Amino acid sequence: MIPLLKFSQACFSYAGRSIFEDLSFTLAKGECAALIGQNGIGKTTLLRLAAGIVRCSAGSVSLEGREVQRLSRTEAARLVAIIPQQVDVPFAFTVEQIIEQGRTPHLGFWGGLTVADRKAVERAIELTDIGYLRGRIFNELSGGERQRVKIALGLAQEPQLLLLDEPTQSLDIGRQLELLDLIRFLNQTGVTILAAMHDLQLIQGTFSSVLLLSPDQGLLQGRPSDVLKPKILERAFNCPPRQHPVLIAENRFQEGTAV
Amino acid sequence: MEAQLTDSVQMSSVHGKTGKTHLGRVLSLLLGALFIAILYSTVIGAVRVPVQALLQTMLGHQALSQEQEVILFQIRLPRILASALVGAALSVAGVLFQGLFRNPLADPYVIGSSGGAVLGASIGMFVLPQLSLLGFSGTALLAFAGSLATIVLVYWIARVGGRTPVVNLLLAGFAVSIMLSYSSYFIEVLDEDYGLGMRVLASWLHGVIGVPRWTQLAVVAVMFVLALALSFPLARRLNTLALGDEYAQQLGIHVEYVRIAIIVVGSLLTAAAVALGGLIGFVGLIVPHVARMIMGPDHVRLLPVTALAGAIFLVVMDTLARTLLAPSEMPVGVLMAFVGGPFFLYLLRRTKKEYAV
Repeated sequence: MIPLLKFSQACFSYAGRSIFEDLSFTLAKGECAALIGQNGIGKTTLLRLAAGIVRCSAGSVSLEGREVQRLSRTEAARLVAIIPQQVDVPFAFTVEQIIEQGRTPHLGFWGGLTVADRKAVERAIELTDIGYLRGRIFNELSGGERQRVKIALGLAQEPQLLLLDEPTQSLDIGRQLELLDLIRFLNQTGVTILAAMHDLQLIQGTFSSVLLLSPDQGLLQGRPSDVLKPKILERAFNCPPRQHPVLIAENRFQEGTAV
Repeated sequence: MEAQLTDSVQMSSVHGKTGKTHLGRVLSLLLGALFIAILYSTVIGAVRVPVQALLQTMLGHQALSQEQEVILFQIRLPRILASALVGAALSVAGVLFQGLFRNPLADPYVIGSSGGAVLGASIGMFVLPQLSLLGFSGTALLAFAGSLATIVLVYWIARVGGRTPVVNLLLAGFAVSIMLSYSSYFIEVLDEDYGLGMRVLASWLHGVIGVPRWTQLAVVAVMFVLALALSFPLARRLNTLALGDEYAQQLGIHVEYVRIAIIVVGSLLTAAAVALGGLIGFVGLIVPHVARMIMGPDHVRLLPVTALAGAIFLVVMDTLARTLLAPSEMPVGVLMAFVGGPFFLYLLRRTKKEYAV
């Protein structure tokens, strides 16, 4: 069976700095995968490569067996939706107007929502349970509400693959659990999920697999119980961290006086 | 105003059919208001006639003297229609540029088209005074060309590695605009026939809607209708662009093409307005703002509303400019600065949340 998402020996560099070299992995249809790794390792970049927003310099990224570079933007947008960390809207759009934008890849030249488009928007609203927010101004929502609206916007695209960039960031614990519940539910309805996750404690019980980007071990992929092991994580996240240089200097100073 | 704002929020929460009737109602109200504004401003002036006489004449009865008819139909009406077109064009261009820059404070002149228009005008006035085409003077034609050329130049400067960051576009527009404005002053200084040229150029820069020939009106009207038709498919893409360039791209929008299209259509509208009325500020800022308060930010709904509201607004303003200091006249651009400036500042202060401006 063709995997939904496949990276084969993908390379990517930004501003002269190599971020990925020979990155290879596959994601099967129906999976619910968490992407973890230390800050700056390239989690967001990996999601952007998967969505076709940026291109790899060598190797390939394919969706359903087709290279993402060869897909038109509209085709890619029907297969994959990416939910960024931050969405800023300059005008007072309502939640419903924002979610309608998710239909963009399905519209014709002149636009105008058809009955099918309207249905997809309603379903996205229903799945994320935000009917009560419909007429509210997007910019006036709380962090948790915004996150749900952003996911609804992605769902309105009716994608095969939903990419989430740190969806639980800056949410309180209650909203975090709500969001994980939503992720589980969406996965059950058949959406394949790849989410960059910051908080490792939230992974067990929701995600079926983990992709760990590690500075010296490359990419590790496996079940949460196999990957989330102290030895592996300590190396991947540089724990315990190096001591602060000032602290090291102070220690040396104190040692010096002691002598 | 406050009541309208909450009203619009409630209205936009009701989707589909109800939203459309709302738009239809606003449009028919505005259409009626435009008709009345045109009617009344035609009869107001040094020569006054009752509205009934004008209506009777339009229905084929002889209710006006020959002299009155000449004044009303050959002097006032073309000017009033011109101001309606200028107002509509500047307002629609305002909506497009504000959407493009994702900034409610952008206006048709912000990316340098005014500077280009001014330079074109002064070249036309001092270097090629005999030029004319389709009833337009060389001044208007070269203003048009200058405005378009400037936008192309600014866009080319601002483009970095296949992308056009908005900050680059604004900064390039600002710098080029100032350079061009002073170049036109330089051309004026070089000219020997200093006094007369200065006065003509000055009146042009301050925004005076003269009495256009019917061919001129027809050309600008065609330009306007064409640009408006092109604006509609762009409007829904502007809604998507509000989410940010990268998000819009992710949703399948060719951000770069849409940007170029908006710049071309927006410049066409600005140039059309400039050709008839010179430089008139604030229209492209105020009208979209007020329309957004009533209609919400959806660009598809904003377009027809701003077009009609802009037309009404400038018809009224030009009539005031023509009659307030009778028998002398003031440039409508000056009146716009007096009235529009404070009104705009009031809007700015009144609005608590910047995105809702």
